[in-house]
Amino acid sequence: MPYFDHSATTPIHPKVLKKMMDVAQQHFGNPSSVHASGRKSKAIIEKARRTIATAILASPSEIIFTGGGTEANNMVLWTLIQSEKKHIVTSSIEHPAILTVLEKLEPMGISCTVLPVNDQGRVDPKILEKSIQSNTGLISIMMANNEIGTIQPILELIDIALKHDIPFHSDTVQTLGKIPLSVQNIQADFMSFSAHKLYGPKGVGFLYKKKGRSLNPLIIGGGQEGKHRAGTENISGISGMGEAVRLASENLSKRMSHLEALETVFITHLNRECHNAVINGCPNHHLPGVISVSFPGYKSDILLAKLDRLGMEVSNGSACGSGSIKPSPVLEAMGISDSQNISTLRFSFGRDNTEKEAIQLVKALGQFANG
Amino acid sequence: MKNWEGDEDEFCTAEEDYKDALAVCDHLGLPLRSVSFSQEYWDTVFKYFIDEYKRGRTPNPDVLCNREVKFKAFMDYALELGAEKIATGHYSIIDESNGGFKLLKGLDPGKDQSYFLYLLGQDALSKSMFPIGEIEKIDVRKLAEESGLVNHAKKDSTGVCFIGEQKFFKEFLKKYIPTNPGLIETTDGKECGKHDGLMYYTMGQRKGLGIGGGYGKQEAPWFVAEKDLDRNVLIVAQGHSHSSLYHKQLMADQVHWINGSVPENLSGISAKIRYRQADQICEITELSVNKCTVRFDKPQFAITPGQSIVFYHGNECLGGAVIENRSFH
Repeated sequence: MPYFDHSATTPIHPKVLKKMMDVAQQHFGNPSSVHASGRKSKAIIEKARRTIATAILASPSEIIFTGGGTEANNMVLWTLIQSEKKHIVTSSIEHPAILTVLEKLEPMGISCTVLPVNDQGRVDPKILEKSIQSNTGLISIMMANNEIGTIQPILELIDIALKHDIPFHSDTVQTLGKIPLSVQNIQADFMSFSAHKLYGPKGVGFLYKKKGRSLNPLIIGGGQEGKHRAGTENISGISGMGEAVRLASENLSKRMSHLEALETVFITHLNRECHNAVINGCPNHHLPGVISVSFPGYKSDILLAKLDRLGMEVSNGSACGSGSIKPSPVLEAMGISDSQNISTLRFSFGRDNTEKEAIQLVKALGQFANG
Repeated sequence: MKNWEGDEDEFCTAEEDYKDALAVCDHLGLPLRSVSFSQEYWDTVFKYFIDEYKRGRTPNPDVLCNREVKFKAFMDYALELGAEKIATGHYSIIDESNGGFKLLKGLDPGKDQSYFLYLLGQDALSKSMFPIGEIEKIDVRKLAEESGLVNHAKKDSTGVCFIGEQKFFKEFLKKYIPTNPGLIETTDGKECGKHDGLMYYTMGQRKGLGIGGGYGKQEAPWFVAEKDLDRNVLIVAQGHSHSSLYHKQLMADQVHWINGSVPENLSGISAKIRYRQADQICEITELSVNKCTVRFDKPQFAITPGQSIVFYHGNECLGGAVIENRSFH
């Protein structure tokens, strides 16, 4: 069944699954136990930590395992409660795992400046600089957007944070495995990652925390993860994530060129089959294989259901919102009209997709939305 | 389909209902799609619902919801996706004969829902199926259990769908209509209490009047007999058999016939003036395109403006109208 929704989640890579099964079947020890079983489990976790650290050129002690990207985001944002500087700057196209948390924090004294984006979904670094206040304690701007694939001018944004000595967090769950990412290059203080976006398991992720930056734990109990995240570790999940990150890192250029090729085929055929289709986002700075397309005059929920009936799985708006068709806040922030907004589908290709499938997809779209 | 959105989540069981639907569809291997018609519901059903309450009437949103949302917006959606027909769980039967479609009562006399479907027309019936209309509800539950459906023992839904249980009703209405408290009087003009606003009461209502059983000579309970909108007075009568609670005749408008025109034979018909009422022998004494006057064989308790009168010929539902007014003779 052709699946074109890899920004929502990805299937587990067979090698990742094998790793997880091996670990789950053979190693049950509690990593905190001092006996052999415990030591083995601890070694598995630390190996995954080293693998991940190597992939992003970080030090192992800068990797904190979490229950996913959302939790990593929450950890960073909730830390503000105990910070002296209680103002945060973010962007209007962040995932709800940022914006909804900030809504929750507001009555607790955390004020927030939400930066606008341009019609391609990019934040203007000059506007970021102007928004900084004397009590700004954090800047949180996602590296690449899940709905439109736009990549932010992240180096310029981080430069501003560095200049003002403000911690910079980036929700990077969409990027790892799709574009090069190393902390030597991207000098953010915090970055959130999720395993299931890169052919790893669900329910596990990690936070990169630059050495020396402070972070308050959200989940308190035992002393796991350097006292940053209590709870007995998800050993098989973490080892699977390690394997997923290793595969993503080793095969990055291959995966990128595959996604770029699929995208080229898709867009070339789309221009031929659906004359009125409009591609949203930023053509020069975007994730390979993530394409937002509006089909003016057609409602996205109907298109989505029709594709679903053919076994083709795509997405409209954010996968987290179910049921009703509401204009996407991301597209809204880009100044896209409501009528175009609710006619928008997101296609996100993955490593298993073929060019033939991409052409089939466009053919179906041509049949349903060629007006 | 989700037809209501807003801050009423506390009353709303939509999320639980969705999970049940998902479990059933997963079990049967059917695709489940969720679609929202809350805008359509608001525009075509809810606005009317509120307007009717403002006029002191007791509307029936479910008959409108069927015509405007389930058998229009939802049907259009399904047809757009390539469906030929829609199937719903209504306890009614569609009988196709001589190129026409008749709406018949469901087999289970206690569950027949034709009353709520009288606003449907030939087009809607031709594209609909009621697969459980010919099964008794108890057997439907048995079938569901045998088939392993998780919701086989789920409680029947009651009340107005977007409000939930009846006890929330007053609170809900208060959000949309300003309250206008006034006096309660007996049928002979004696003041006997205060009401919170005429919209909260319906004809024949017994509970919640706040009149002590001790008032008056008898201990018999009090019932709402009339609403005097001009004076904002609620008029009550004592005892279920009080003559002011019974009317022999009613006037109704918004007449609708399921077969598209006035049935040739209107003799020997009966009607229901509320859901699950036994059929009442009656006669349509005056009839125009939109309005009708109906005379009952026996006086009817608590004929309620805003509710629907639905006509039957034996088991066939012919159509109906919305009750406008009533008279004693």
